[in-house]
Amino acid sequence: MRIVVLCPSVYSETACAMAVRMAEFGHVPAGALALPTLDRGTLLRKLGQWGTQDVIRYASAKLTPHRGDGRAQVSNPYLQPLLKHGEGVFRSLRQVAKFYGFPIEVCSDQNAPDSIARLREWSPDLIIFTGGNILRKQLLDVPRLGVLNVHLGLLPEVRGMSSPEWSLLIHVPVGVTIHYIDAGIDTGPILQRCEFPDASRCESLSDLRNRLIAFGVEQVAEVVAGLDRGTISASPQSDLDEDHQFFVMHEWLQARAAERLTKRRSVAIVESVNG
Amino acid sequence: MTDSVAACGDNSRDNAITAQIAKALTEATGLLRRPQRVVPLIQRLVSDKLRVTFEQRHLYSYATTKRSSGDALNSLLRWILDAQRPDGGIAAYYGLLTGYSESYPEVTGYIVPTLYDCARTTGDDDAVVAVERATQWLLSLQMSMGAFPAGLHGGLHGDAKQPSVFNTGQILQGLVRAHVETNRPEILQAAVAAGDWLVRMQHADGSWSGPAAYQNVAHTYYSMVAWALAELSERAANRRHGCSDHEHSLSYGRPAERNLDWVLSHFRPGGWIDGINLRGHPNYLHFIAYALQGALECAILRRRSDAIEAVAKSSWVLLRKFETNKFLPGAFEPDFKNGQRFTCLTGNAQMSCVWLRLFEVTDDLRYLNAALKMNEMLKPLIPARGRRGIFGGVSGSYPIWGRYQPLRYLSWGNKFFADALLLEQRLTRSFAASAFEALPCAS
Repeated sequence: MRIVVLCPSVYSETACAMAVRMAEFGHVPAGALALPTLDRGTLLRKLGQWGTQDVIRYASAKLTPHRGDGRAQVSNPYLQPLLKHGEGVFRSLRQVAKFYGFPIEVCSDQNAPDSIARLREWSPDLIIFTGGNILRKQLLDVPRLGVLNVHLGLLPEVRGMSSPEWSLLIHVPVGVTIHYIDAGIDTGPILQRCEFPDASRCESLSDLRNRLIAFGVEQVAEVVAGLDRGTISASPQSDLDEDHQFFVMHEWLQARAAERLTKRRSVAIVESVNG
Repeated sequence: MTDSVAACGDNSRDNAITAQIAKALTEATGLLRRPQRVVPLIQRLVSDKLRVTFEQRHLYSYATTKRSSGDALNSLLRWILDAQRPDGGIAAYYGLLTGYSESYPEVTGYIVPTLYDCARTTGDDDAVVAVERATQWLLSLQMSMGAFPAGLHGGLHGDAKQPSVFNTGQILQGLVRAHVETNRPEILQAAVAAGDWLVRMQHADGSWSGPAAYQNVAHTYYSMVAWALAELSERAANRRHGCSDHEHSLSYGRPAERNLDWVLSHFRPGGWIDGINLRGHPNYLHFIAYALQGALECAILRRRSDAIEAVAKSSWVLLRKFETNKFLPGAFEPDFKNGQRFTCLTGNAQMSCVWLRLFEVTDDLRYLNAALKMNEMLKPLIPARGRRGIFGGVSGSYPIWGRYQPLRYLSWGNKFFADALLLEQRLTRSFAASAFEALPCAS
């Protein structure tokens, strides 16, 4: 199966881990298309998502040389086993591409005609989306099977943003959904929907997100294997009429979601102590 | 706003044009009379220009501020108290060109509940003194027929003034609350007289039109009047002697529902509300939000789930626009199309109130989420320093030269934003408490 990875930046750990995971079980990507790291749009997006302090911390971690066992070089520790490379870790998709021998292109817009033309040259069966632009129809039509997305919530219950946090607040199980992207927001046909079993072990919301991302990478690997064998097929979402879209969560509500996570953890600890 | 600040309730076109010219001249000569006003004017123009130029809005982010809701609420209250005129009424606005306007009966009326709530929350005794003075002034304005007059205070006197359905409804809100707080019989008497007049003026289809309605036509944003009647039915009328609760509920509750039904018949399937009907004005968010807020509050009081659903549908359209674009346009064309680039801050604050109340009645946290972000966006737009009239004021538009009430700080903007922050405080406290109780370890 010919796979292409779309990524928000060559420094995206998720994209690196996804490419490594695909390569590990014999599906070395046919190519990867990344957005530039230091352009205005990406920088503003990251500032909006993470805030100034986290962006500076992230940039300095990526741009300065490291020593040690590599653990400190990975911001998501649950991806570390996949990113481990010799004595260090893969720090960018360029390193992954060089190691496994696949081409990587950087473009300013994944929907631009040049980007679409390059994707067509790679003639993918499947595109795996790990971040970037909102994808337009021309791009969605390029792969034979479709464009896969890992959504950090169970569909169709929780569409849109801040899905793990919303799941905690509205009492929907925490999980991930692997689905094809269509014109709507998280409305495409579902390939796999998995509840996340370790939510009660998470220490914080960022810990939960990190674990879900790593869990999602493994689920994609399963889905790709299933598609390859022909044992998995997509099912359209059942209740498109209902509006299950959620938006970025305000920090006050995030704090309430974090409280729920902490309580779950406490309950789990008490239960394990009581046997 | 306000039937009258726009055109002072004039019936004929000529009079309206004359009023517009007079208004423009007054504004233009304001700076000549008080040249020192040029400094804050330029400051605000420059600060809004800079903010508009450099602010970034992204899908994954929202405006944040370090300013607390309590601090913002205190400055909003201070602005309202400063705007109280010697007669006891609250000024309609502070103009950067013209200074304070005269007292404005309509806003003085429906700011009463806000002042009582602020006094309770902040412990500010000045607010209690102010609200008692305001109520006394309102009682002095009531016409013999039970109505309250249109427009700003001044000019014609007594029954020579034009009675106004909308202003009477808005003032009725304040009278009902003042009676609940003080139990003074003369306030109840005034409220009942106002309610009776509104019922007499209502058409069989539930609408209000004719000389006592703005531009003589019926408007869906008069749902605010229906809300006032429903309040009268619910909270005060049962204290009137010689009448049973049931009879009072029928006296004012049924007319309120008749108007609610008329308003609901103007909701389009996509959520848009027809019948704003303001000739010469765009469909400002302020009036759309009025229609929604009045219908919602009336529906809650009359236990009308069909109306709550209709309001929720329209409010959801606006919520999606706000979440996607990070602001709500100041005016729309029908079906919420072609939103204009400026923001009507009053309308934003009103939508925050609507979303918070919808959260309260539906438990849908997305409404609370949007309202928290809306309040966060509004807080930094309230001047944290400046002279009287500017400090703590909510401007008509952002940027301040936007089309809705340009270069003015509005008393009704302060009222609605204070309401939104008060609601936010109450609902976040109760949600935090209930969420804690719901947790398995909380016991």
